[in-house]
Amino acid sequence: MTIDTHAAPQTDAWIIIPAFNEAQVIGDVVAELRSVFANVVCVDDGSSDETGDIALRAGAHVVGHPVNLGQGAAIQTGVEYARSRPGASAFATFDADGQHRVKDVVTMLDRLRRGDVDIVIGTRFAGSTRTETPPLKRWVLRTAAWLSPTSRRLGLTDAHNGLRVFNRKVADDLVLTMSGMSHAGEFIKLIDENRWRVTEEPVEILYTDYSMSKGQPLLNGVNIVFDGFLRRRLRR
Amino acid sequence: MNWIQVLLIAAVITLLVYLLRSRTNAKAKAWVKVGYVLFVIAAIYAILRPDDTTVVANWLGVDRGADLLSYALMIAFVFTTLSTYLRFKDMELKYARLARAVALQTARTPDH
Repeated sequence: MTIDTHAAPQTDAWIIIPAFNEAQVIGDVVAELRSVFANVVCVDDGSSDETGDIALRAGAHVVGHPVNLGQGAAIQTGVEYARSRPGASAFATFDADGQHRVKDVVTMLDRLRRGDVDIVIGTRFAGSTRTETPPLKRWVLRTAAWLSPTSRRLGLTDAHNGLRVFNRKVADDLVLTMSGMSHAGEFIKLIDENRWRVTEEPVEILYTDYSMSKGQPLLNGVNIVFDGFLRRRLRR
Repeated sequence: MNWIQVLLIAAVITLLVYLLRSRTNAKAKAWVKVGYVLFVIAAIYAILRPDDTTVVANWLGVDRGADLLSYALMIAFVFTTLSTYLRFKDMELKYARLARAVALQTARTPDH
């Protein structure tokens, strides 16, 4: 894939990749990101394969959980690492399975730098992008977005998109407590509670056989809804 | 006295002794102990005079004392399940923070 590379790699942006047993693809994903971004941190979420070593060799900083905690916890760890690095002013979360396009991150960062928003979330369902989302998945994701009063109020159509770009303010205040896959909904609630200014940007998702096999089964939606209801009780 | 009554009372008293001997010293635990002593007294009473539970049940519009006990048990079970669930979530969060601290201390940076 060719990318309209900027003259020098971007140094103020940190790309955060949560990864669990992604040795097969993590090298290429990191290398491609590194052609545009100087700073990539891969959070190895207790993988049993060589994910961490491969990411390190491809040029990423590697932070390794000693045990598997889940994607939400990995994102939180990555953000805490990145925000402690000097000069970090923009942050992006990027899935390790290669389903996102680097080009979209560049577009979203440009959008963020206009300065009128704090966070930009990728969406499969807005604008003119023709992402081939499988019909059942599409229906479930759209229903999930519609069922959430917060998503509707904020005008978000694809809360479970793994591609997010945000500024220092969001990174400093981010506290994800849902370790597993329920963090996407928690992210949306945090946006609402902290009054972060949010917008969406159309992105394309590359549904490869690999990313489809690694993706979360739709039944997991039940867990996500359940955790969402209980979250309020847990905040103390 | 029936044998079953002897066995039940022995079991309840054993549990009471076990609980009161445990050395958890938080103030909140004290209330748990007080509650447990009251529970043991009520339990022994109910074991010795099972028909009295029917009287209480009738006050509340339930036919049999055994039904009343099973309703109380259901509520207690749901309460226990929920509090265990919340406690587990709390533990999970602490565990995640611990693992995160370890991860951040052992971060590896690329050479180039």
